[in-house]
Amino acid sequence: MRLLEFQGKRLLSMNGIVVPASTLRIAPEDLEELQYPVVLKAQVPFGGRGKAGMIRHASSPEQAIAAVSELKGLDIEGYHAFPILVESKVSFTRELYLAALIDKATNLPMVMAGAVGGIDIESISKKEPGTIIRVHVDPCIGLAGYSVRKLARRLSMEERSDEIRNVVERMLELFESCNASLVEINPLAVTDDALVALDAKIVLDDRAANSHPELFNRAEKEQEECGVLPSTGRKKLARQTGLVYVDLGGDIAMISDGAGTGLLTLDLIRDAGGQPACFCELGAKADSQGIQHALDIVLSDPPPRALVISLIGGLTRMDELADGIAASLTSRESSTPIAVRMCGTREEEGRAILRRVGIETHEDLETVVRVAVEGAEGIDGDSRR
Amino acid sequence: MAILVDETTRVLIQGITGHVGAFQTRAMIAQGTNVVAGVTPGKGGRTVEGVPVYDYVEEAMSHEPNVVLSFVPARFAEDAAIEAVDSRMPLLVVTTAGIPDQSTLRVLHHAQKKGTRILGPDTPGLVSPGKSKVGVHPDQVLAEGHIGVVSRSGALSYEICRHLVANQFGQSTVIGIGGGPLWDVRFVEILKWFEGDPQTDAIVLLGEIGSTMEHEAAAYISTSMSKPVISLIVGRSAPRGAQLGHAGAIIEGDQDTAEKKCEALANAGARVVRSPRAVVESLKELGV
Repeated sequence: MRLLEFQGKRLLSMNGIVVPASTLRIAPEDLEELQYPVVLKAQVPFGGRGKAGMIRHASSPEQAIAAVSELKGLDIEGYHAFPILVESKVSFTRELYLAALIDKATNLPMVMAGAVGGIDIESISKKEPGTIIRVHVDPCIGLAGYSVRKLARRLSMEERSDEIRNVVERMLELFESCNASLVEINPLAVTDDALVALDAKIVLDDRAANSHPELFNRAEKEQEECGVLPSTGRKKLARQTGLVYVDLGGDIAMISDGAGTGLLTLDLIRDAGGQPACFCELGAKADSQGIQHALDIVLSDPPPRALVISLIGGLTRMDELADGIAASLTSRESSTPIAVRMCGTREEEGRAILRRVGIETHEDLETVVRVAVEGAEGIDGDSRR
Repeated sequence: MAILVDETTRVLIQGITGHVGAFQTRAMIAQGTNVVAGVTPGKGGRTVEGVPVYDYVEEAMSHEPNVVLSFVPARFAEDAAIEAVDSRMPLLVVTTAGIPDQSTLRVLHHAQKKGTRILGPDTPGLVSPGKSKVGVHPDQVLAEGHIGVVSRSGALSYEICRHLVANQFGQSTVIGIGGGPLWDVRFVEILKWFEGDPQTDAIVLLGEIGSTMEHEAAAYISTSMSKPVISLIVGRSAPRGAQLGHAGAIIEGDQDTAEKKCEALANAGARVVRSPRAVVESLKELGV
């Protein structure tokens, strides 16, 4: 889960990292009470906001009120109700880059730092790889003091090495304590008396949601309130039931009990001339109830033109999934043609269960995909007649 | 021969008394796997399918296990893995999905220090058909033979194995390395082991979007493999930035798309195919 800037800054601040004074209240009477100048920033979960005109500056309440109405008028698809963070402008002498993440090449946590902040880290890594400093963190020892001092020197911040150390350690504490995948402070402003986080990008590991229920629940609720996370519909239902659901925009829905076969099924749908509507994978919820939830999600309005259910179970038992499919389909009226491929652990039992409710299964995945693509085209043909 | 597991494999199962653990233990024993002991905290003294259950791994060491297979739920999986590593087990197979990355990296780090190799998390395990199954692969897709199969996805490996068996190709060893995004054993190491295994004549490498592992494999194939490699990379139709099932299956950079991986593998001399059927056709053409 990617946190919005104000959510990230709240975590930074709670962990002792300085952030600018700010408010989310943008009524004219609230804006009149602020210390000017201020910066107004649209709270949306993607980068490049400056270039997109989503960050404005104001030196008076009148300018701030105008900036709010301009930001509100921006047409950002899918993010109409975004909040606006209003912050006191910070004057600084330098900007730095700082982040904590997991280095997938070494399986170790890593601190990344740059002597230039406010930049696009990916492009600078490619153009000038030498400007980014990488320091690995030992999971047992943590980050050694000497390596932080060295890092400060390479940032030309040796005289403020203690402050750098303080920010880096607190960032790492936060990274570990909330099971983050990424904590990025870009830029970290160097002012005369402090290091101040001017932006915050924090990504939480969804698989740690059960370990941090308060953190995740609050963040989700806030993002639902401002329309960043859907509060209704398929994605919401998937989130509630722990299934993977990704919209793909086509008309042939896909449910699988494995990630790799799910991806393969999408590829085969495309190869057969169809357009996948979604990727819905049962993951750890591959049981009778899980597949009933999956069917609730993909068959909700507007229904797809066809549905492929691609099952090949090892850990997953086909008899359990067949029970779920049978229960779900006999309790609803759906005109969507459904093609089921069922193989693997207890496949005979599973097929027998489905046969009893009038669903024929196929053994071959490419056959199932062809049946579904033809089924979708069939509906197309009917509607044209 | 085969790799990693064979007739000498003695399996200890963590989480043996659970719904999944007990069911899969029965299936493994039916395949001839030598399951020597099980561990579930608080359930010591019971038996599952005739296998003695202990509270701690240390208590089960008298049975001389040499592989640990874990079905422990995500909440307790890190602790169970640390326990297996502390008992100096050479190979730990973690089937559990949904373990946070920071837990996984602590386990991988600890294992590296103590000399335990890890497959998973989120792996179906591995099987050398006719010798030993340390995993959850459905039996009907397995037959003893000469094709080595390595995959990031369990289900995709079953899919391919089903086509292999239907066309009279058996497997030397079928290995799932896990859904990622963190791995101890990567593609290159498995390729190296298959290259050195007399039973393996050809290798099927099943990759997907996300990570750089397929590129590492391509570099290794071009310089060091004499055996043919057939590769299927799934996720050609995946959008950028969306996480599709596996934690590791997400396109983040410009090199981790299916297209770039297919290109790198083809340039390295692997036969890159687009469907399970084409895997079999390719093997037939090779005449292995």
